[in-house]
Amino acid sequence: MGTPVKDITLPDNAPKTLLLQKHADYIAAYGNKKDDYEYIMTEYLRMNGMYWGLTALSLAGQLDRMDKKEVISFAKSCQTEGGGVACSVGHDPHMLSTLSAVQILTLYDAVDNLNVETLVSWVAGLQQDDGSFSGDKWGEVDTRFSFCAVACLSLLGRLDAINVDKAVDFVLSCMNFDGGFGCRPGSESHSGQIYCCVGLLAITGYLHKINTDQLGWWLCERQLPSGGLNGRPEKLPDVCYSWWVLASMAAIGRLHWIDKDKLRAFMLACQDEETGGFADRPGDMVDPFHTLFGLAGLSLLGDESVQPVNPVYCMPENIIRRLNLSTTDDAENS
Amino acid sequence: MHGRLKVKTTEEQQKAKQEERAKKLKLYTAATSKAFQKRKAGELDTELLEITGQVLHVNPDFYTFWNIRKETFLHLHDAKESAELQKLYRGELDFLEMCLKVNPKSYGTWHHRSFVMDHMPQPDWARELELCNLFLQFDERNFHCWDYRRFVVKRSKVAAVEEFDFTTSKISSNFSNFSSWHYRSKLLPILHPDPTQPSGIAPHVIQSEFELVQNGLYTDPDDQSNWFYHKWLLGRGEQNQRINYAYISCVKKQILVSFTKAIKIGVASCEVLLNKSKVNVTWTNQNGTSAFSTLWISFPEFICL
Repeated sequence: MGTPVKDITLPDNAPKTLLLQKHADYIAAYGNKKDDYEYIMTEYLRMNGMYWGLTALSLAGQLDRMDKKEVISFAKSCQTEGGGVACSVGHDPHMLSTLSAVQILTLYDAVDNLNVETLVSWVAGLQQDDGSFSGDKWGEVDTRFSFCAVACLSLLGRLDAINVDKAVDFVLSCMNFDGGFGCRPGSESHSGQIYCCVGLLAITGYLHKINTDQLGWWLCERQLPSGGLNGRPEKLPDVCYSWWVLASMAAIGRLHWIDKDKLRAFMLACQDEETGGFADRPGDMVDPFHTLFGLAGLSLLGDESVQPVNPVYCMPENIIRRLNLSTTDDAENS
Repeated sequence: MHGRLKVKTTEEQQKAKQEERAKKLKLYTAATSKAFQKRKAGELDTELLEITGQVLHVNPDFYTFWNIRKETFLHLHDAKESAELQKLYRGELDFLEMCLKVNPKSYGTWHHRSFVMDHMPQPDWARELELCNLFLQFDERNFHCWDYRRFVVKRSKVAAVEEFDFTTSKISSNFSNFSSWHYRSKLLPILHPDPTQPSGIAPHVIQSEFELVQNGLYTDPDDQSNWFYHKWLLGRGEQNQRINYAYISCVKKQILVSFTKAIKIGVASCEVLLNKSKVNVTWTNQNGTSAFSTLWISFPEFICL
């Protein structure tokens, strides 16, 4: 007897066109509900949340709706003495919030508001002997943090501060039999981690170390009959995993291995017509996280009403161009 | 937010929910501000464990509070006797188990558990392996738990063969278990190494694995896990670096070299000898840059005889 395929059916009445303005309105209003239960309970990921929201608005071409001064001063106030940035004032610095802060300030071309020197040395200080990175001083090692460190330093033009070759070697030591990558050596492949590892190899110019056809096959098998992509075999489809898989495929040049029309239909069906925003799956609650990845995914699929997105940094392509950063192996600086 | 269904509610239900949330919020804000205050005042005591515990129980991704707990435990190392410490750490493991039952997929909770095991006076590793068995029974694909299991195995030096047997039992109860197949791919090169083989694994083992996965394919031909493992068993291992072909044109004064694997010339130099004398060459890849590539081109000045 076979295992039933885990998937969903798209409801007939699900949205079939992109409700871009509603999403922009949803994001723009999100930050105004500061007394809201949801808002307060998610303080531990405020900086990440701001990156999701601001990038979503940028992709919608409406970044000017946010209070630039307020954003910059918030990011600035979250930088700690040691250089790392916390998710919110009073919390501890972490690699995840540090990358988000650098991304946000890069959107505004305002990284000078941070103490870049201390930030760079804080990130570099978290590199371990084996080339890996821990998320903070408590030592949790994960390829997500390798990506955060490399993405963050490359945005600041300071990759020279770390041992890039060792960072690459560590990521390669996490490669698996299926061509994918996990959290640490020995860990199972997971599309979120694959996105991070492929991203790190793209930024450092080591994409050729990937077995493109093997990984491409594993990634394209994430597509389910509903059109959505899952994060690992035998899991349900989800908008955020759709982005991580799609972006990884774009980075290794295998975007044409999935059915784009079906994925687009799945993503559009995850929109909420009433409130704006995207959910993980049709009919679920929306949030800024899935809203960003919904818009970014549609951008990669070629939707021209959304600004072109860079698949590695998940930021508007024009900003990555402005910084003259390359995410292919052909860069002279790699 | 994952998997949270949007439900239509009546005004009355909404009001009740709002009131409940307002109450929760009040407790939550009071607890968080008190915890931060105590930390600032250096009051790293069991009361602080109590307060941060209330928040983490419902909100395990509040990473700063896990840090506060770690600080508190390290501080208590100086203040408490070993037996008392052991008791506190045992309590922490119970607390963590409770948190894992609410949310078995929080990075912070699992990492904190490894911190506790690395710091307590008498860690009971056998009990941890049991805990992994239990949580993999709840969800055989929980990669946090698999990773924690590998941490326990490493620390307590569990034999690779025992772990291999564990994956066999998992697979025999459900062939569609990608996590188990994955783990086998990591254990086989340790258990049956054979450096003469391209795969690095003894051929008779590849054969028996092949038979096992074939059974899975017959049971469920649509299952991906089996096919990925199957493909891996059939794989030919890694290719060595060598020159596929080299093309030299005297007329065009051009050298073209194709390698089996991407290379960066300049780091690994590629010398050209013509009639035993060295020719000065500058290499670029097909894009005219010096980045990694399998194809390298040079236009040297030389005279063919």
